[in-house]
Amino acid sequence: MLPTLGHVALVIGLAVSLFAVAAFTAGGRGGDPRLLASARRAVYASFGLALVGCGAMVVSLLNHDFSVLYVARNNATSTPPFFSFISLWAALEGSILFWALLASGWAALVLYRYRSRHPVLMPWVGATLAAIDSFFFAVLTWPGNPFLRVTPVAAEGPGPNALLQNHPFMGLHPPLLYLGYTGLAVPFAFAIAALITRRLDEGWLAVVRRWTMIPWIFLTLGITAGAWWSYEVLGWGGYWAWDPVENAALLPWLTATAFVHSSMVAERRGSLKAWTVSLVIATFVLTLVGTFLTRSGVVASVHSFTQSAIGPWFLAAIVLALTTAVSLLVWRLPQLTGTGRPTSVVSRESAFLLNNVLFCGLTFAVLFGTLMPLVVGATGGGAISVGAPWFNRVNVPIFAALLFLMGVGPALPWGRASWSSVRERFSLPILAAVIAVVGAWGLGMHGAAPLGTLGLAVFVGGIMLDELVRGARARSRGRREDPATATWRLATRNRRRYGGYLVHTGVLVMAVAVAISSGLSSQTSATLRPGESVRLAGYVLTYDRLVVEPLATDRRVTEARAELTYSGSQRGTLATALRDYPNSTTAIATPSVRTALGEDLYVTLLAYDAATRSVTVRVFVNPLVMWIWVGGAIVAAGSVFAIWPDRRRLPVEEAQPERLPIPEAAASVEGA
Amino acid sequence: MTLVAPSPPALPPPRRRWGTILAVAAVLAVIGYLAFSNIGSAFVYYLTPTELLARGDAAVGDTVRLGGLVKQGTISGPATDLSFVLTDGDAEIPVHSTVAPTRSFREGAGAVVEGQLGRDGVFQASQVIVKHDENYQAPSPGAQPSNHGFDPGIDQAP
Repeated sequence: MLPTLGHVALVIGLAVSLFAVAAFTAGGRGGDPRLLASARRAVYASFGLALVGCGAMVVSLLNHDFSVLYVARNNATSTPPFFSFISLWAALEGSILFWALLASGWAALVLYRYRSRHPVLMPWVGATLAAIDSFFFAVLTWPGNPFLRVTPVAAEGPGPNALLQNHPFMGLHPPLLYLGYTGLAVPFAFAIAALITRRLDEGWLAVVRRWTMIPWIFLTLGITAGAWWSYEVLGWGGYWAWDPVENAALLPWLTATAFVHSSMVAERRGSLKAWTVSLVIATFVLTLVGTFLTRSGVVASVHSFTQSAIGPWFLAAIVLALTTAVSLLVWRLPQLTGTGRPTSVVSRESAFLLNNVLFCGLTFAVLFGTLMPLVVGATGGGAISVGAPWFNRVNVPIFAALLFLMGVGPALPWGRASWSSVRERFSLPILAAVIAVVGAWGLGMHGAAPLGTLGLAVFVGGIMLDELVRGARARSRGRREDPATATWRLATRNRRRYGGYLVHTGVLVMAVAVAISSGLSSQTSATLRPGESVRLAGYVLTYDRLVVEPLATDRRVTEARAELTYSGSQRGTLATALRDYPNSTTAIATPSVRTALGEDLYVTLLAYDAATRSVTVRVFVNPLVMWIWVGGAIVAAGSVFAIWPDRRRLPVEEAQPERLPIPEAAASVEGA
Repeated sequence: MTLVAPSPPALPPPRRRWGTILAVAAVLAVIGYLAFSNIGSAFVYYLTPTELLARGDAAVGDTVRLGGLVKQGTISGPATDLSFVLTDGDAEIPVHSTVAPTRSFREGAGAVVEGQLGRDGVFQASQVIVKHDENYQAPSPGAQPSNHGFDPGIDQAP
């Protein structure tokens, strides 16, 4: 009964979304305004219907209703409720269902938020978003139907994929990533609408930047949480491997980041407009490409991927989105030429331009490395893989150049820089960077990558701090405020600038942590009998005993747990396990990670012999890994600070729908 | 090499534009050099023992992934100094690894090793990847970045 209800809801969702596309289009071409209201309600309804579909699936999973094929494949009667619930997004059809829910949710939110604003743009924004929703409902109706039934009904299922029921992070990381992925349809819809209606003005840019930043925050958190999950669950001691699935998440993040930067030039100088719109389009298309790559089974991996019929559907969607957007862009190109004045090579515009070139270089490199095995395979060149060393060789120098620009860009003035001002702003941070590098080297830190990254980070951080202090001091003197108040007010009056600095600070923290943890980690593996010890980087680990018993939460799972005592800069006991799931031939490792501010002790059980009680463990000591997650959190916090609505501006915003952005000069540092 | 010049055209004075375009071109050239120089070494080929031996002496020293079944009765040595033979039914290659594989590594099971064939005909593995059985289906590619290619069955030692 319930699965039928879910299926019917999705079919009606398709009909309602298609109606919304038609009604928005008719309304946008000057039809009856009641059509637009009706179309908006249709989008709200499609969100409700997707909710019904997801609800039906979740209840079927929680009830272990094996008459539904999806449940029969991904659930077992012994699966704990939490993992049954998150199985909604743990396999192909369910994840597309969840995707449709989020996509229609974003569409409903945006159309509600702007229901009485941007009257020219919104019908086309609505039509585009409803068309995207229609696509997902269509996939759910035909090739990816999650409510397919199966007879005879099995009494027991295999349970969710073993890897995915091993850690509660599975409940957090995919939804964050999906929120980012699906939300990037919103700026794309605004780009299409603006190209159709020729409203590519500054008001448009402000809306699009905000609606790129919101999904960007989720995408950033989703990627960081994914790296964390990989580190905590997979037991290989690392967090990023340039795996096709990781790259698929990174690609739209790179172009969206490039957009956030180029939009500032477009807004400030009126140039780079066509380029900025192209980035919005590329970002959305890359979310589709990523989905295609990872869901259609075209990317080769040691896993045999699920062969599914949805590949051609996504390919068609990519072609349709790309041709529509590019045709519109070419058609409107004459109206997109810049009004910008020529600028010096040494200026903030140039820094932004270079930033964009570098981000696009990264995007091309990552895309190239990800697609190359496909191309070589399709042309009969055999099965190949592109390894992490290639990705690192190409991307690490680009990342280093971006770090450098992060400091130089904001310190350069718009238009033209004078050498004396450059010297004045750079000399102190450069001195600080040199002292930091020499000091770290003196303290025994070696390696070009860790030292170089540290130096760059201190340089960039020094420039930002210098500017904050100058601005706060000027404000404190001019307005007789105490330094803390002056700093807070300066930052909250220039949210975009100082929010951006906070984001950059988070990136610096991550960069240093990545460089040091990958450059200076140490590892060893050893086979131990009870009572024997292994030493690594000042730690002594002693193996105490082996316990093999069923898991308390799921009796069908057998856990072999090696208990160890460790001493070093931290001390205590830890247990690292291998779990045998009935539906997996591979035992799933459960690494034990002891996290501290300075370094992580990371122990994975590789193998055990129940008869002799001997175990083989791999031990890593990874410095500063925790700061990668902290950096990700700072990036997200900085972004929220930057886009936080400004109280003083809200009434103005409500009164002037197609407003121009308030000049930031009022309280800016340059003016102080 | 394609030059992407995103700057709007037809803006005076030209000499300043040229400065920007040259800078962009230089950056793209550096990225292109990093990406394409020595690109052959970036590709890791996936071969069976028959295919690897067919390459003869040319195969010695190249990093490849070798896939096959662990031959019955050939595993010897402790986990961190392991010898075994990989076979595809026709050809077989002795493999030596100092990286401990996971528990699912066993005789008769499929395995993929990454490393180089030495002059002595022994394949020195720097990674031992235990292959999933044929019934294994990746749960949701795309939903969880990083759960593909890396699982506890893969040893990521350098």
